[in-house]
Amino acid sequence: MTFLRVENLKVYYPVRGGFFRRVIDHVKAVDDITLDLQPGETYGLVGESGCGKTTTGRTIIGLNKATAGKIIFNDIDLTRLKRRQFHKYRKDIQMIFQDPYSSLNPKKRVIDIIAEPIRNFEKLSPKEERRKVQDLMEKVGLSPDSIFKYPHEFSGGQRQRIGIARALTVNPKIIIADEPVSALDVSVQAQVLNFMKDIQKEYNLTYLFISHDLGIVRHMSDRIGIMYKGRLVEEGTKENIFNQPKHIYTKRLLAAIPDVNPEKRDEHLLMRKEVNEEFERNYEKYFDAEGKIFDLKKISDTHSVALP
Amino acid sequence: MLKFIVRRLLIMIPQLLLLSIIIFLLAKAMPGDALTGQMVANPNLDPETMEELREKLGLNDPWHEQYIRWIGNLLQGDFGISYVHNVKISDLLGNRMANTFLLGLLTLIFAYLIAIPLGIIAGRYPDSWMDKLIVGYNFVSYAIPLFVFALLMLFLFGYTLNWFPTGGSVDVQVERGTWDWYLSKLHHLILPSISAALLSTVGTIQYLRSEIIDTKLKDFVKTAKAKGTPERKVYTRHIFRNSLLPVAAFLGYDIVFILGGSIFIEQIFNYPGLGQLFVSSISQRDFSVVNILVMLFGFLSILGTLLSDIILSIVDPRIRID
Amino acid sequence: MGKPLLQINNLKTSFRIGDEFYAAVDDVSLTVNENEVVAIVGESGCGKSALALSIMGLHHELNTKLEGEILFQNKNLLSLSTNELNNIRGKDMGMIFQDPLTALNPLMRIGDQIEETMKNHYNLSKEEMKKRTLELLNKVGIPNPERTYMQYPHELSGGMRQRVVIAIAIACEPKLLIADEPTTALDVTIQAQILDLMRELQNQMKTGIILITHDLGVVAEMADRVAVMYAGEIVEIADVFTLFNNPLHPYTRSLFNSVPSAADGDRLHVIQGIVPSLKKLPRTGCRFSERIPWIKKEAHEENPKLREVEKNHWVRCTCYQHFDFPKDAEDLHYDIS
Repeated sequence: MTFLRVENLKVYYPVRGGFFRRVIDHVKAVDDITLDLQPGETYGLVGESGCGKTTTGRTIIGLNKATAGKIIFNDIDLTRLKRRQFHKYRKDIQMIFQDPYSSLNPKKRVIDIIAEPIRNFEKLSPKEERRKVQDLMEKVGLSPDSIFKYPHEFSGGQRQRIGIARALTVNPKIIIADEPVSALDVSVQAQVLNFMKDIQKEYNLTYLFISHDLGIVRHMSDRIGIMYKGRLVEEGTKENIFNQPKHIYTKRLLAAIPDVNPEKRDEHLLMRKEVNEEFERNYEKYFDAEGKIFDLKKISDTHSVALP
Repeated sequence: MLKFIVRRLLIMIPQLLLLSIIIFLLAKAMPGDALTGQMVANPNLDPETMEELREKLGLNDPWHEQYIRWIGNLLQGDFGISYVHNVKISDLLGNRMANTFLLGLLTLIFAYLIAIPLGIIAGRYPDSWMDKLIVGYNFVSYAIPLFVFALLMLFLFGYTLNWFPTGGSVDVQVERGTWDWYLSKLHHLILPSISAALLSTVGTIQYLRSEIIDTKLKDFVKTAKAKGTPERKVYTRHIFRNSLLPVAAFLGYDIVFILGGSIFIEQIFNYPGLGQLFVSSISQRDFSVVNILVMLFGFLSILGTLLSDIILSIVDPRIRID
Repeated sequence: MGKPLLQINNLKTSFRIGDEFYAAVDDVSLTVNENEVVAIVGESGCGKSALALSIMGLHHELNTKLEGEILFQNKNLLSLSTNELNNIRGKDMGMIFQDPLTALNPLMRIGDQIEETMKNHYNLSKEEMKKRTLELLNKVGIPNPERTYMQYPHELSGGMRQRVVIAIAIACEPKLLIADEPTTALDVTIQAQILDLMRELQNQMKTGIILITHDLGVVAEMADRVAVMYAGEIVEIADVFTLFNNPLHPYTRSLFNSVPSAADGDRLHVIQGIVPSLKKLPRTGCRFSERIPWIKKEAHEENPKLREVEKNHWVRCTCYQHFDFPKDAEDLHYDIS
């Protein structure tokens, strides 16, 4: 049985032009990517802004429409479902958003924010609902007494945990976390990341962890996919990606992260320079004549690279 | 740019067609028709003659036939005739259109002449006594209804002080086309346009004020200061230009707003323009004129929004239209 | 190391909230030498940006109170009039801002924005100014200077815009550059390019740089000396190798342990509690003490001062001698409010 499989997913946006605003071209936000998520694992999707990683996440939970391809969850293709049928599966896949300041409705109390998915999917009496919300608040390390407060009364890290509590209310199987800590300070980041690991164990959650920060992805993920220009350039276990990167773009991305050891400064800079030079020099080796990324090819059981 | 304008003009066609149908049907739904007004004016007309006239004018045909005839004529530039005045509508509109246009233009100029400096002062020195005074003026001008204020101005400057004429668009004794004639026109325009302008500054002043206060905090203003740019130039070069954008964008809409206001102003100052004609035509049930006027106002408001978009694309390099 | 370029003595920057002033930068002293990169590290609200803006004199005059001294070229910047300050800003010191998307005037052409700096300080002919601007654009690595000269900011990518921001800052070859989170808003590969550029320019021009950042990786790559700030104070200051090999202050150590790439082990360290807001900042004693409650009161100084614990390594408060991380941190349940 496939748990979650994204198969040949394409998300194109039309570009209109000419006198009658006809579609003259497409922006290929996601251009034919395939990925498999195993139950209980964390899959890190990495790339720079505009690479299509966020679009991929949003398409899986149905916030964007797939142009082509399948999203198979428990053997059912979600892209084929009607709105009403889709609703049934919607609660199994939840999302945590990047900005804890804008993703919570400032006019709603915390209890209403967290209970919203319950109200959509389950029928509970007000008393049961309240107990459930309070349990969740405690679980995410917030005082159960503060359920009648408003979002602005919480700090950034606390808000992000409210967002997580909201995602947890309906016992999801998969959580898509789109840059969940990018807006937070490092020490607060640590709190949210630790917490995400804790609840993953407790609820046997599967994460699709979307981020531009390779350090955080390395810390969180079992497997990692590197996206560039709407396509996957490399996919593998954490060790595959960090220890044996094969695609020049992956190498370039890794070389770009500053090394936290100042003594290796010069060494690191030299390495970065070499990688960048190779990127320029051997461009044709890694990209086809139109500059497009090749299809992924397996080079070991766990490791795939986009090479000709 | 040209492509954009042409496309927008083409989109106007269905909009205007829809508008024309609605207007036409509304006019038909009103009690009475073009001849009712004539009957009031001339009680000696007997009902049989009226019926013959109705038949002759096609007023008994089904509405869509009448509509098609009307819109067909309209497209050929034939606006029809006013049944009340018994003249071609185009003749009726000619002078008045120019009058209203002049009034609107002058109102707009006065409004901006007042609003922009006040907005800039209020935004540059918020919470100062000047700012408080300006905000006070805003409240008052927003609260006073136009017709009350206009009457007050008319009473004060027209009747009591006798500085300005109290009606008409030009002195009838002056020969048309002479220097004196133009002066007289201007003299007649000043009081109504200033009255209207004083009450239409609220939006611009408030917008400008809050834009300036916001822009002051923008990063690029910090960049400008970090360059060592003197305070005065930071304002003129960086803050004001960026703050004037939304004001410029509203220019097109303002034109519509002022046209709407002309209905009151022209009525009160007895100024022979489109607004006055509109009101009198409604009360006399001169529907053929009313229809044309509503079409004209509709056309101008759509044109105003188009103008706004064009102005914005000229002043803001980020907005590109093609 | 060169001569002292900028000397900050007991700087206190306070902001007005309601009718009271609260110090966001509290008694900070710092020296920046010629041709030296000093990094200031800390989390949001620690006062690092307020410090940068204080040096440039960019705070709102009415809502800010500045005390102490900022000596630059034998002048105290805090006692200069705006006009006198304008003769220095842009010429002898330049600033690079965090967000290249908002730091440029959207209605002005790139060329004009760069030339504005020169216009303020030099008397150059139009042609000469344009020639210099094109050289500058070339210097900051913009591929087609002639074209970019005529473009508006929105026509450039984030990385290119940040290059323009840098070109503006170095237009008059300043002796001091203040960079406030210059790469935070950028992608990693772009960040690497911008850092490379800054390093290259520094080598050429021998500028002193104050680099404000929260990213320890950026610090490790760029800095000569590092000052760590917490709650408006410098809590530790040392050269970059000493600080990374032997961080002493509990806050510095906590910070290191909460970053995934620097932390050892599976669990990241979480600093308990939250950064206190400006109004609630503790003004006496060790400001970090409430976030390490398991350290005994006696370990802290009553009136903690920066002390030189080894050569050129300064640490505030004695609590570092007694600090250790708690064994199994139940990090979540501490901030039940």
